[in-house]
Amino acid sequence: MGTSVQVSPLSGVYNENPLSYLVSIDGFNFLLDCGWNDLFDPSLLEPLSRVASTIDAVLLTHPDTLHLGALPYAMKKLGLSAPVYATEPVHRLGLLTMYDQFLSRKQVSDFDLFTLDDIDSAFQNVIRLTYSQNYHLSGNGEGIVIAPHVAGHMLGGSIWKITKDGEEVVYAVDYNHRKERHLNGTVLQSFVRPAVLITDAYNALYTNQTQSHHRDTEFLDTISKHLEVGGNVLLPVDTAGRVLELLLILEQHWSQRAFSFPIYFLTYVSSSTIDYVKSFLEWMSDSISKSFETSRDNAFLLRHVTLLINKTDLDNAPPGPKVVLASMASLEAGFARDIFVEWANDPRNLVLFTETGQFGTLARMLQSAPPPKFVKVTMSKRVPLAGEELIAYEEEQNRLKREEALRASLVKEEETKASLGPDENSSEPMIIDTKTTHDVVGSHGPAYKDILIDGFVPPSSSVAPMFPFYDNTADWDEYGEVINPDDYVIKDEDMDRGAMHAGGDVDGRLDEATASLMLDTRPSKVISNELIVTVSCSLVKMDYEGRSDGRSIKSTIAHVSPLKLVLVHATAEATEHLKQHCLNSICPHVYAPKIEETVDVTSDLCAYKVQLSEKLMSNVIFKKLGDSEVAWVDSQVGKTESEKRCLQPMASAAAPHKPVLVGDLKMQDFKQFLASKGVQVEFAGGGALRCGEYVTLRKVGPTGQKGGASGPQQILIEGPLCEDYYKVRDYLYSQFYLL
Amino acid sequence: MASSSISLKRREQPMSREGDQLIVTPLGAGNEVGRSCAYMSFRGKTVLFDCGIHPAYSGMAALPYFDEIDPSTIDVLLITHFHLDHAASLPYFLEKTTFKGRVFMTHATKAIYKLLLTDYVKVSKVSVEDMLFDEHDINKSMDKIEVIDFHQTVEVNGIKFWCYTAGHVLGAAMFMVDIAGVRILYTGDYSREEDRHLRAAELPQFSPDICIIESTSGVQLHQSRHIREKRFTDVIHSTVSQGGRVLIPAFALGRAQELLLILDEYWANHPDLHNIPIYYASPLAKKCMAVYQTYILSMNDRIRNQFANSNPFVFKHISALNSIDDFRDVGPSVVMASPGGLQSGFSRQLFDIWCSDKRNACIIPGYMVEGTLAKTIINEPKEVTLMNGLTAPLNMQVHYISFSAHADYAQTSTFLKELMPPNIILVHGEANEMMRLKQKLFTEFPDGNTRIMNPKNCESVEMYFNSEKMAKTIGRLAEKTPDVGDSVSGILVKKGFTYQIMAPDDLHVFSQLSTATVTQRITIPFSGAFGVITHRLGKIFESVESSTDDETGLPALKVHERVTVKQESEKHISLQWSSDPISDMVSDSIVALVLNISREVPKIIVEEEVAVKSEEENGKKVEKVIYALLVSLFGDVKLGEDGKLVISVDGNVAHLDKESGDVESEHEGLKERVRVAFKRIQSAVKPVPLWVE
Repeated sequence: MGTSVQVSPLSGVYNENPLSYLVSIDGFNFLLDCGWNDLFDPSLLEPLSRVASTIDAVLLTHPDTLHLGALPYAMKKLGLSAPVYATEPVHRLGLLTMYDQFLSRKQVSDFDLFTLDDIDSAFQNVIRLTYSQNYHLSGNGEGIVIAPHVAGHMLGGSIWKITKDGEEVVYAVDYNHRKERHLNGTVLQSFVRPAVLITDAYNALYTNQTQSHHRDTEFLDTISKHLEVGGNVLLPVDTAGRVLELLLILEQHWSQRAFSFPIYFLTYVSSSTIDYVKSFLEWMSDSISKSFETSRDNAFLLRHVTLLINKTDLDNAPPGPKVVLASMASLEAGFARDIFVEWANDPRNLVLFTETGQFGTLARMLQSAPPPKFVKVTMSKRVPLAGEELIAYEEEQNRLKREEALRASLVKEEETKASLGPDENSSEPMIIDTKTTHDVVGSHGPAYKDILIDGFVPPSSSVAPMFPFYDNTADWDEYGEVINPDDYVIKDEDMDRGAMHAGGDVDGRLDEATASLMLDTRPSKVISNELIVTVSCSLVKMDYEGRSDGRSIKSTIAHVSPLKLVLVHATAEATEHLKQHCLNSICPHVYAPKIEETVDVTSDLCAYKVQLSEKLMSNVIFKKLGDSEVAWVDSQVGKTESEKRCLQPMASAAAPHKPVLVGDLKMQDFKQFLASKGVQVEFAGGGALRCGEYVTLRKVGPTGQKGGASGPQQILIEGPLCEDYYKVRDYLYSQFYLL
Repeated sequence: MASSSISLKRREQPMSREGDQLIVTPLGAGNEVGRSCAYMSFRGKTVLFDCGIHPAYSGMAALPYFDEIDPSTIDVLLITHFHLDHAASLPYFLEKTTFKGRVFMTHATKAIYKLLLTDYVKVSKVSVEDMLFDEHDINKSMDKIEVIDFHQTVEVNGIKFWCYTAGHVLGAAMFMVDIAGVRILYTGDYSREEDRHLRAAELPQFSPDICIIESTSGVQLHQSRHIREKRFTDVIHSTVSQGGRVLIPAFALGRAQELLLILDEYWANHPDLHNIPIYYASPLAKKCMAVYQTYILSMNDRIRNQFANSNPFVFKHISALNSIDDFRDVGPSVVMASPGGLQSGFSRQLFDIWCSDKRNACIIPGYMVEGTLAKTIINEPKEVTLMNGLTAPLNMQVHYISFSAHADYAQTSTFLKELMPPNIILVHGEANEMMRLKQKLFTEFPDGNTRIMNPKNCESVEMYFNSEKMAKTIGRLAEKTPDVGDSVSGILVKKGFTYQIMAPDDLHVFSQLSTATVTQRITIPFSGAFGVITHRLGKIFESVESSTDDETGLPALKVHERVTVKQESEKHISLQWSSDPISDMVSDSIVALVLNISREVPKIIVEEEVAVKSEEENGKKVEKVIYALLVSLFGDVKLGEDGKLVISVDGNVAHLDKESGDVESEHEGLKERVRVAFKRIQSAVKPVPLWVE
């Protein structure tokens, strides 16, 4: 009867590997996140490669590598072709994150897993949704509704609710219940009793999260301490995720304290990032949007932070202590790695980690206790080719080009043959139309880039070996060549489009330096050398991960109390811990599947739909209880005209039913209620409430967890026969509805 | 349970079909343009769309007819966009009425709303009594306004709503409201044509049951955007090249930004014009630029891509003017000034200076409200009245080139044909235009399945929706799917407009509610022999089981399987039972009995005899009570010839058979009521059944 739901993890269970889960709902396959890590190891994606082509939709949660890093690769190489759904910030910032990853990688290696074009095309067709937008899928997903909701971890970060036939599957990973400077807390608590909750146990064992203002003070003290003694501070950060919160903290603190130490934010895409973030105010915390509405102060108009997009600018910056936020947080690539190597041996300097490094990366190594004294790093950089190498390269390229050209000319020949057909709209080459030129820029844009990046490999479709020659097969009549007046109308629409294209790349705005890197056609190669870096700078780790800690995770899950729970993304230890906890006190169905193990979490719920007849409803008197209204119904099943099941009033008097008391008694609240009614009331030992002199009230049976598996409440009231007894009993009854 | 109390309550809430009536009442903008405000109510939920003022009136007269409604009953107020005729009575409504619902608008609308109204308060020169609200009220209203993003679904009290891009101004939205499955689309002002910075209005994914749509443009057709732009730039170009001045009276926000984009681009393409200054005289527009620069997500791709290069809202050829004192009127110039209606202010000052020179031109760029000077001069009168009361010849050329982003007839009819709403309500249009539109739409939807209405202000449109109430039976109750005739009993939980039926034991599983059992234990002083109690109880209750307590070995009794009576000590006995009305009653009578044992010996036997004797009398008594109750319910009740009771209410007659409970009547409603009433009376006068199956 229920909707069939199967979950099978593709990566990121029983460890901290990137997230990627396959959830199939009535045969419709969702890929929840498509993550990779900073090491870009294709073997991690093997499970994905086996199912990629069967996937019907991809839902992304956060704009970082762990949640969407594999998307370009999967689209290009693994045959993933499903539509992707994400929020606008996840789409934009995710795109920038991937650019940054690619450019950082390209700088130090012959990175060929995917190209900028692959990134572009992967992100081009992302369907962008806003928070709580109910999107109805069509096609074979008919009847399924998906909606992203606030996750609170990163800008645009989402938890996804998938609904079919009233049954809800919630995917919530890396959420944060706490409100931050730039983000609201998650709304996960507002989902109650979903059929399935898929969540992470990442922080299940992590409990001593400090209060945010203590943490901020400590954070800023640590930084200023090092700056004041003349040291530099490096914060390895992600490209466009958690770094935003850090920027705001620093910005705010700098304006309060009027510090003069410069702050630099250095990634390949930093200025684009901040530009976009400035226009994402709708997605940020209430306080940020409020301040903009009342005073038009955009919180991300950073006055104290300089945005840099290449290392030279930083090297040219005036000497002296400074704070640098640079990507990647893992120190595996990017500017952060270079800066770390430069700064590591000065004891005045500080490397401040704001999140736990990915497993097996340099950052993780440095975060171990005690920190290593020396680390061995392989430093690579891209250098232009010279001398013999250059000649050899050029020859190779020429040869490739010749081959390509030959192939292209063959293709062209066939095309021309085909185009000589009589029905061909033959005036094509003659069209005086701005459109054609623009279209060249538009449609061949990526291809054009391709040439520039990969060397001189011309795409087969665009370049002919000779100057293109077209036979003019125009139509003639007695007045000469037939003129189509439309060809001569200057189409404003096209002018608009022209302006649009003049504005730059449609999808990704690239910084000049990025562009120059892309356009850097000089043949180059990567040279690597191994260094032993002495780590004498201070290493500090603070928690700015923006995830709920273990205690909150537990209370959130208890509040949500799903009918079935699937745990993912955490170390084996944490997964096991949370599983046991949930089994004991939240719900009896907790699953923690292994990679490629499919668990069936189809709800075994029985349900059927009935129509409530007007006659029945007019006799029902609801009683309001919180958000809902309750009533007892006695009814008889009938049929409507459309042969649907319909509930009608009983023909004969209904058999009396056992009365039910509905309500949730909280002893604490009830105590106050009694006190307000003038009853002497106090808690006696063992959770008993002593009302007046003689009467006691206590909850019996399984206590502890609220609602959930514990079942109905058992309340015991006892006392001698006296007036107080009946008074207290009446007050107690007033807390419930009798049905 | 106390069934008589229910039947009394029933009388307070008479059975009615009110729940299915949907009412739409325009409180403003009904057969007029200005003070948009539409009231809608369905199944006890009330929504108000927009809250504007009429720009041609001032003070209270400019408000929509709020006194027609009770503001405290409104659940949700939705504002489509920031224009004064859609949003400007909001501070008044929020701060000066009993309204206590929630207000929603989009982010951009909220940001501009504050600037715009603050400016409005400053500019409008009315006496203090006539002031509807002040700046303080605006600031206070800001805290109450909540924001909604496009497509985001929000639910308030079971009312679901979300909004679509409307394409009228930045942040303009069309609201779709869903109450219990009935959908209402309120377009506000919308345009289906993409322009320089805005996206065209979206076509909603779902067809609404009712579409409340603007009809500003009536049956007019707009020229294509490019022709309009060309006419606009041509007029300006020729005027300034002949040494004339161009006045563009335009509302500071909305279309003004579009015109500035056109002008800036035109100037950029025509270097010969570079020495001719363009001014926009609006500090307000200047302030709002930050908003335009931020909410680019609400604009179209063209702007977003330009934004990548440089901010298109930073104009290169246009400068801002703060007041007329800063303006040096030497030689040709182009000035865009507010207000758009030329009622007063900067645009009017310039108009008064320029109107008699025939070289000058005035371009009216959008829809003008009836009663404003701008509307008057479109008809090119010979003379106009200046602000100082004198008259002057109107020599300047007046051009009306509409850039108003209101849907024209073609857009409206295609939009409606795509949506095919069964009910169309026209608002926000001048009466004649609206009539013509209505006629023409009738020809478009000739099949008669579409109702088109154009209510006047305060004239309610009533529609009936027979929405089915569907419930989901879940959990243990649904283990077996019932057949026709089977009975289903359980707890019905209503949340918003969704219903679930479940067994009491499942309540905590499927809802946030929980059930409870209350166990009561009471001790009564009793020093007699326990056997006495056993004996006495046995005389009164049908079922008394004796046993001994396992722990103490003392005797115990179980009365009707509900109440356990135990001897606690020499001097006390205890009663324990699980609360419910019947058990409470049984225990109360046990308590009374136990207390009385020690005082006197009740004469039970005598009473029993009396009871037996009066068996027949009892029957008569019951009949009397039934009769009395029926009279109190229905008034006219007579004993018919065949022993049946004849009940007549409002001319309808029902015959009730007292023995079987059968009712005969031609009137279905009465028959049902009499049947139910008799059933309940019977259950009230008969002994309480102590057994629960």
